[in-house]
Amino acid sequence: MLKLSEVSVAYGGLQAVASVSLDVAEGEFVTIVGPNGAGKTTLLKAVGGGVPLQAGRVEYRGRDISGLPAHARARLGVAHVPEGRKVFPSLSVLENLEMGSYRAEARSRRGEGLDTVFGLFPVLRERRQQLAGSLSGGEQQMLAIGRGIMALPDLLLLDEPSQGLGPRIVEGIFEAIAAIRRSRPITILLVEQRVVEALELCDRGYVLETGRVALSGDRQTLLADPRVQHAYLGA
Amino acid sequence: MALGDLVQYVVTGLLVGGVYALMSIGLALIFGVMRVVNFAQGDFMMLGMYVTYFLTTAYGIDPLLGAVLIVPPFFLVGVAVHRVLLARVTGGGDPQRLMDTQLILTLGLSLIITNGATMLLTPMPRGIKTSYATQAFVVGPILMNEARSYAFLMALLLAGVVYVFLTRTDLGKALRAAADEPEAAGYQGIDVRAMHGLAFGVGIALVAAAGGLLATYHPIEPTVAVNFIVLMFVAVVLGGLGSIPGAFAGGLVIGVVQSLTLLVLPFQLQNVGVFIAFLLVLYLRPQGLFGQRLRTV
Ligand SMILES: Nc1ncnc2c1ncn2[C@@H]1O[C@H](COP(=O)(O)OP(=O)(O)OP(=O)(O)O)[C@@H](O)[C@H]1O
Ligand SMILES: [Mg+2]
Repeated sequence: MLKLSEVSVAYGGLQAVASVSLDVAEGEFVTIVGPNGAGKTTLLKAVGGGVPLQAGRVEYRGRDISGLPAHARARLGVAHVPEGRKVFPSLSVLENLEMGSYRAEARSRRGEGLDTVFGLFPVLRERRQQLAGSLSGGEQQMLAIGRGIMALPDLLLLDEPSQGLGPRIVEGIFEAIAAIRRSRPITILLVEQRVVEALELCDRGYVLETGRVALSGDRQTLLADPRVQHAYLGA
Repeated sequence: MALGDLVQYVVTGLLVGGVYALMSIGLALIFGVMRVVNFAQGDFMMLGMYVTYFLTTAYGIDPLLGAVLIVPPFFLVGVAVHRVLLARVTGGGDPQRLMDTQLILTLGLSLIITNGATMLLTPMPRGIKTSYATQAFVVGPILMNEARSYAFLMALLLAGVVYVFLTRTDLGKALRAAADEPEAAGYQGIDVRAMHGLAFGVGIALVAAAGGLLATYHPIEPTVAVNFIVLMFVAVVLGGLGSIPGAFAGGLVIGVVQSLTLLVLPFQLQNVGVFIAFLLVLYLRPQGLFGQRLRTV
């Protein structure tokens, strides 16, 4: 479904992602973990179209999308829930969700999308007329994920949905992600710093360090790996 | 001074303020979506006045109708100017440098239009004669100039159409989304660059229409922009940068302040009151009269 070949991204002189290759199969749930500044967000943006590639290739369903702008990738069914939520603060909750279903395929099925989102996050239904900028952090995260789901995407990119949230809320968010996956066929690429929760949820994972893949494997392998245990699980 | 006088001045101010409001929301829309300060905004207003004038003199089209007829062509002009000029200096790159180049670009555009118009159309002031320009509605003790009243109503109507567009249509919401969070807008499938073109087209069309309405009672000359661009900027800042409802209210406030200034100062100094009010507001409420914590369009 998604294939990155030796992708590099640089900001000015700073090499944020260096020759990363990874692939995600249809229906798979893949997690990317790693310390602050490892290049996780940059890598996800390289998939979503948020940064230009310095080198390498991004293929989606066998098609090279490296040169496509973000909005064109969204129209192909790639939904990016960005780091820091980035909801539209001056739009209402409902309008934010409507914008999630901006692409033609989703627009005609808006009601269906709304039902799914309100089913996952009932609080958004209550708040649908409220300005998104006035929501709490947790609610904004739910809205950002809900907006992504409204696109009825084939590939969902989630960048640190747990960032800055309390443990109870985080648990709810992870449960919702698991529920999304049960509810419809979808491929998920998740970036997380909560290594344990993320790895437990996924099929496969990559550990990114200073812009490179340090380690990869399926859930069990990664959870059992002494380096992961030492660095992230406090063992 | 009698209370009646005061009411008269406020009403007169509101009537001209409606047209200021319409021109200001054009500027606010462009700023809100593109973060570009368009110094040429007043010049497109001037062009709107001239085109409306020629529609009237050549085809006998009433300027109130002319002001609406010029909306589609000016929209296209705005889209073209965006595509050919502004698209090169927006998005991607060092923000400070982009700001500088945008500033020089729109200022240069303004100079070219003003001077081009002076050469082609001569500096001679012109005016549109309508049956209603010198008539007034009498409401109790209050006189309301007919031209200004009609212009006010048309401005309100056009602003209402913009409001409905921005709040009720997907395209309008996408425009606001692109203003709020351009990166996230792209991730929803919204073509942010196309939204810039749309905002610029609508912004230019609105200010041109406001020019057409203004032409029903204000002399038309190539340098008319200088008197209005400042008022537009003040209205937009008063309203909270980039806010459309704010800019609309800011325009009305400016009309009223300008009018009330005439109670104490001669006509030539009517903008002094506007600037005093402006400085006061900036001092007391730096986010603008209607500015909120949230940046809104
Ligand atoms: N827009 C930018 N301009 C310049 N440098 C950037 C930019 N964005 C990220 N970087 C740098 O690129 C490197 C990778 O950043 P990135 O945000 O991808 O890391 P991350 O793994 O997502 O970190 P975190 O876990 O803190 O979110 C960092 O050194 C960062 O400072
Ligand atoms: Mg990150």
